[in-house]
Amino acid sequence: MIAWTGRKTVEGVAYAADVLYLSYLAFKGFLSPARRGRGEAFRVITRQILFTGVDALPVVGVIALILGLLIIIQAGTTLPHVGAGAFLAKIIVLTVVRELGPLITAFIVVWRSGTAMCTELGNMRVGQEIAALEAMGINLVRFLVMPRLIGAIVAVICLTIYFDVVAILGGFLVAKVKLTIPVAVYLTEIEKSLSVADVLITVIKGGLFGLVIAVICCHHGLSVVGATTEVPQQATKAMLSTVTACLVLDIIVSISFYL
Amino acid sequence: MAESVLELEHVSASVADHVRVDDLSLSVQRGEAVALVGSDASGKGLALKLCAGLEMPTSGTVRVLGVDPSQASEEEFLHLRQRVGFVFDKPALVSNLSVFNNVALPLRYHTALPESEIQDRVIARLRECGVDALRDRFPAELTLGDARLVAMARARVLDTEILFIDELLLGLDAEGLVRVRGLVEGYRKAGALTVVVTINAPTALFGLMDRLVLLRDGHMVAACPPVEASRVDDPMVLDFFRFH
Repeated sequence: MIAWTGRKTVEGVAYAADVLYLSYLAFKGFLSPARRGRGEAFRVITRQILFTGVDALPVVGVIALILGLLIIIQAGTTLPHVGAGAFLAKIIVLTVVRELGPLITAFIVVWRSGTAMCTELGNMRVGQEIAALEAMGINLVRFLVMPRLIGAIVAVICLTIYFDVVAILGGFLVAKVKLTIPVAVYLTEIEKSLSVADVLITVIKGGLFGLVIAVICCHHGLSVVGATTEVPQQATKAMLSTVTACLVLDIIVSISFYL
Repeated sequence: MAESVLELEHVSASVADHVRVDDLSLSVQRGEAVALVGSDASGKGLALKLCAGLEMPTSGTVRVLGVDPSQASEEEFLHLRQRVGFVFDKPALVSNLSVFNNVALPLRYHTALPESEIQDRVIARLRECGVDALRDRFPAELTLGDARLVAMARARVLDTEILFIDELLLGLDAEGLVRVRGLVEGYRKAGALTVVVTINAPTALFGLMDRLVLLRDGHMVAACPPVEASRVDDPMVLDFFRFH
């Protein structure tokens, strides 16, 4: 048991070190003044933002609307019974902007784009595309990882803000059928409850989640050695690791800002 | 005296447990065409990757265009990669890029050429390989033979000095063989390009080569002009050429 715990701890530390090193190399590649590959990297970043961000707008919008509706209905119908109706806006800001918005958006991006990144890179490894890129002197981190990382960070930040807005406004408009609160009052309360720190938190969390999604999924995709059967295995591992990392980061950021 | 562009001295290496190269020594001159010949498990693919600096030896030294890849700095290694083209046994084209963009990729990545110049160079290389009509297709829409010809165009687009082709015959039909013959003949006439290929079966393309390097179980059995190869006194070589 002790040996197993020790082995798993060492593996965990080595894994975290690999992922952190890949993040470092990707940022180094982004900040490098070298012109080599910059144009190609920019094309991949644009495609990544389109695929991870723009293409995900409908699914994120629908989930945000449903979640916002559920929270507003539950809070809006329960809080007045305990004399806390005035806290509706506060509750929504607390749950949606601070926590659920960034987390649910990250989960959607992991399921949708994270697995796609992992399987794409894994299949490239199996098809010798990655070996061919190396043979042409193309830096894998600069060409494959860095653009995905930057694209994912930008996309997740934008999607998180979009999620928050749709959940707060869209959810309320739908719930308005059952609730008696005027829209103007609701918006004023939301404005009062929402601090700059809340907006900052949602952006910081979005950026961090985008980073871990891209780096962990790219790490697992590039870890495929040669067999096609490894690709779905690595995709599953990437999903589990990314969701865990997002939850841990969420706790760390929330504790840092609010405790 | 011709310049040596590729030198292997007592090189040994292995990948997995079953593919190895033992004590291989070889020197290739500029403009020469050399075929590493042997059966599937003879180690010729690994030998080719060692020659190209894509695998590192466990012992011995490799010098490609005067550079030892295992000792080279990152910048030297990167520069070397631009002077050497490699075609894998699988075409290894980037699957989400069109044929044109695949061939343009090394130019766009390594140079600051204007797009019009890139277009001219890419079309010229595609035309040279006889696949310019496929420029807008994606790799999944190509036959294996056409995909390998596109890979050859990509490997040459930076005006590489040495072209390595793994499994030269793979995926080629009669028309493809004629195209490859024309390509290699063209390279030979130009004289500046050194060609090193692997071949796993007797072929009429042997006639285009200056030398055949016969490999068995990772060992070099003989290195000789094609006309002498079938007379090498070795059971593997005799078996290899029996039906030729």
